[in-house]
Amino acid sequence: MELQRLGVKFFLHDSSQLKLGDLVPVFHSWIQKQLVEDHILVDVHNYSHVHEGPGILLVAHEGNFSIDLRDGRLGLFYYRKQPLDGALESRLKNIFRTTLQGVRLLENEPQLGKVQFKTDELLLVANDRLNAPNTEATFQLLEPELSRFFGQLLDGDDFTLTRQEDPKERFTVRVQAGHSQDTQALLDRLD
Amino acid sequence: MSTWKEKLAEQINPAWAEEIDVFETQLEQRRQGKLDEKIFAETRLRRGIYGQRYDNGQRHDGIRTQEIAYPSGSLTKGPDTAWDAPGMQRIKIPFGGMIPDQMEVLADMSEEYSDAILHVTTRQDFQLHFVHIDDTPDLMRRLAAVGITTREACGNSVRNVTACPLAGVCRDEAFDVTPYARAISRFLLGHPDAQNFGRKFKVAFSGCRDHACGLVSMHDMGAIAVTKNENGKEKRGFELYVGGGLGAVPHQAKLFDSFLAEEDLLPTAQAMARVFARLGEKNIRSRARIKFLVAKLGIDEFRRLVVEERETMPEDERWTDYLPDVPHDQEKAVREGQSLNGQARSEGFQQWYETNVYQQRQADYVVVTITLPLGDLSAWQMRGLADLARRFAGDNVRTTVEQNIVFRWVSESDLPDLFQELERVGLSEPGAGSIVDVTACPGTDTCKLGIASSRGLAAEIRTRLASQFMAMDESVRNLRIKISGCFNSCGQHHIADIGFYGTSRTISSRKVAHFQLVLGGKWTENAGSYGLAMGSVPAKRIPEVLERITQRYVKERTHGQSFQDFIRHIGKQELRNSLEDLMKVPAYEEDSTFYSDWGDPREFTMGDMGIGECAGEVVSVVDFDLAAAERLVFEAQIQLDEGDYSRADELAYSAMLQAAKALIKTEFLDVQDDPDILVEEFRRRFYETKLFHDKYAGGKFAHYLFRRYESPSQEHTREHVHTLVEEVQLFIEAAHACWERIAQRQVAAASASGPNAEQPVQ
Repeated sequence: MELQRLGVKFFLHDSSQLKLGDLVPVFHSWIQKQLVEDHILVDVHNYSHVHEGPGILLVAHEGNFSIDLRDGRLGLFYYRKQPLDGALESRLKNIFRTTLQGVRLLENEPQLGKVQFKTDELLLVANDRLNAPNTEATFQLLEPELSRFFGQLLDGDDFTLTRQEDPKERFTVRVQAGHSQDTQALLDRLD
Repeated sequence: MSTWKEKLAEQINPAWAEEIDVFETQLEQRRQGKLDEKIFAETRLRRGIYGQRYDNGQRHDGIRTQEIAYPSGSLTKGPDTAWDAPGMQRIKIPFGGMIPDQMEVLADMSEEYSDAILHVTTRQDFQLHFVHIDDTPDLMRRLAAVGITTREACGNSVRNVTACPLAGVCRDEAFDVTPYARAISRFLLGHPDAQNFGRKFKVAFSGCRDHACGLVSMHDMGAIAVTKNENGKEKRGFELYVGGGLGAVPHQAKLFDSFLAEEDLLPTAQAMARVFARLGEKNIRSRARIKFLVAKLGIDEFRRLVVEERETMPEDERWTDYLPDVPHDQEKAVREGQSLNGQARSEGFQQWYETNVYQQRQADYVVVTITLPLGDLSAWQMRGLADLARRFAGDNVRTTVEQNIVFRWVSESDLPDLFQELERVGLSEPGAGSIVDVTACPGTDTCKLGIASSRGLAAEIRTRLASQFMAMDESVRNLRIKISGCFNSCGQHHIADIGFYGTSRTISSRKVAHFQLVLGGKWTENAGSYGLAMGSVPAKRIPEVLERITQRYVKERTHGQSFQDFIRHIGKQELRNSLEDLMKVPAYEEDSTFYSDWGDPREFTMGDMGIGECAGEVVSVVDFDLAAAERLVFEAQIQLDEGDYSRADELAYSAMLQAAKALIKTEFLDVQDDPDILVEEFRRRFYETKLFHDKYAGGKFAHYLFRRYESPSQEHTREHVHTLVEEVQLFIEAAHACWERIAQRQVAAASASGPNAEQPVQ
């Protein structure tokens, strides 16, 4: 399956840790310092007035980052817009690497205090209704490869993959693991 | 299926499918360098694809100007527009009407190709931002599969046809204008006679004269429903207006026909399009709207030409073939209408009910306004609304020019349930059409022309006012605020009770975001009158300005006095005096927050402009002269209000000369006050050298001076002088911008020459 437009959301441990407005100067500073590898950063957009929307958005040519508020649960959502080379596993690695780099930047950002992301739950989203309609058939097709990938990423920790079933929504898989691990550890495993 | 083209082949109107295929080919041609960039730019504009801020590959990050090194390199999608730069896709929604299936596809498009946000515009369109041009053919196909086109959403074409969102259910309308708006929208879409305009052409419909409705007076062509008795039978027709428009200098539309029979509507529109295409200005963009043609010819001559053209046109059955269906063009409710009787109501319902619910003329049915903050909603909210529409409103959903969505034909008894469901999707905000329901164009967020952050200011005002809303005096609650990021009026600031448009000022060589305060506009009576700028206020002072004006209105208004009457009664001079302290900007060292705009922490300065004393000195002299020009134009406004049009004209002209002189003095200190010399010097030093030219508007503002100098009006009517005052405001703004450019160059030159370089000539 030629799935390219994938997205990943890591949730915050505690949504109250973050004040949305504080993200605006932080994302601007990412542009000033060009902090995201292999990304042409373009602009910051404030959607904090939209209920459970994309919050604060950092637009890049290759993919966007947003402090997503969907379902009232804050998290960093990264979704790829431009195609990547390689097989699905390689593309997954690439997308997770970028997302986790973003997570680390936020966790280490002094302006935000101590924000922490959890890794025992995350969402994988296919932003492509043509190649990945939100059906059981898509899930069955992708499940073996996803299981392999998350098995490595989570280093043997137990996990479950569950498809979110609303057919109007994008194909989304919730990954639920037994333990929350250090985000840097996950990042290291992607090398 | 491997592509959307294959998957949707059976679902798209073949003509639309072919158009999109052609566009995809043009896109490929341009990619291969086989299509000129200017031609491609107009081609994509006519498919609704706009450029967006920073698409020239440069962005000031608050410290320096950074290059945005898009991978497409030198490939462009228009002059100075990088191929890979994110762009905006505008999507036409004729009269704002949409059905749930379309809403769902719009939601999907925003998620897959944009940023999961749908933005409702002041012309009932949708806009998606940050779209890559490579994605646009599939985006168009998916919309076309549900009957939506983006064709002619931008470019020099007939734009989205707008109409009152209450059409068909309004208690005061003469008749439902919906079928006529739909017919003209279809008839003019891609019509050969509407392809050769010098500028865009906007059409609007209203069901009545008195309310805001379709804002007919500010349109290129506007139609108000009227009826007359003919042999005992009611005959439908339109009071037809032409030549209105906002833009930099607003014009009130002129009456073209007090009763144009319904069967003459389409052929008359076609004849107008032909006359506009043939005689309208093509070379000077700033004079190319039909309003300038009408002004040049006079309404009588324009009418004569259109009528004459109409006679020469071959008959077209489409002119009238929709008319037999008009009486049957009835919307269907999904629920039986029942009154609101005793149902349990949740907290907040009553407040929402008072501001967001309109009783239809059809008993027990209501229109519900869904307030969208800044015109935005997310993809999942849009899907949620589609589900709610199926349950409560059916296919009867419309966008509004106030950037909201309305559900029509809702049974009143369903309101408590609908309110609860809207709460669930986060769209139950009260205050529709009130002071908190601020309208704003995209401004500096995404627009290339934006000067100040209209959305940032709107968000700040909304937040501050929302908490006070219930405690507000009713007279203030019902005021409308509209904000544009620049003088181009996309936020419709001219017709607000309180309007703002973005400008900038240089204070000690740093730029500061400002907004011109515009008072006295009228939203009702189809945009019955336009306000005038009162003066430029630092962006960060606007909330205080608002508070001061509204508090004074509450305290000093007489019973039933409208805001416009109050402003007139107080007088602009007195009002300006009362705001004088708020027009000042503290020094950077004293309060640096003034030097960044609302919602944007970057310093509001032009990239590499230094903070040299030399620039500072020069600024003070020129700014002093420009301030004098501003005072003169303000005095002109006072005279205009007092009815001394001749004196107002004289003062306005003097203001323009004063601003020109301010610039000339930067090169020729001893220039005389003689208008002949000033205009000649200005022309030679600033117009012919293009120093005065705006990046986008070119020499447009200089023409205001030349025209007034070359052809002083012999008759001083209110309308004529009002227009002149608007032009003078823009000329002065352009002089400020010009001076800022000159100062930057002087600083750059001084830096390049080292510390011993000569000071710039004053």
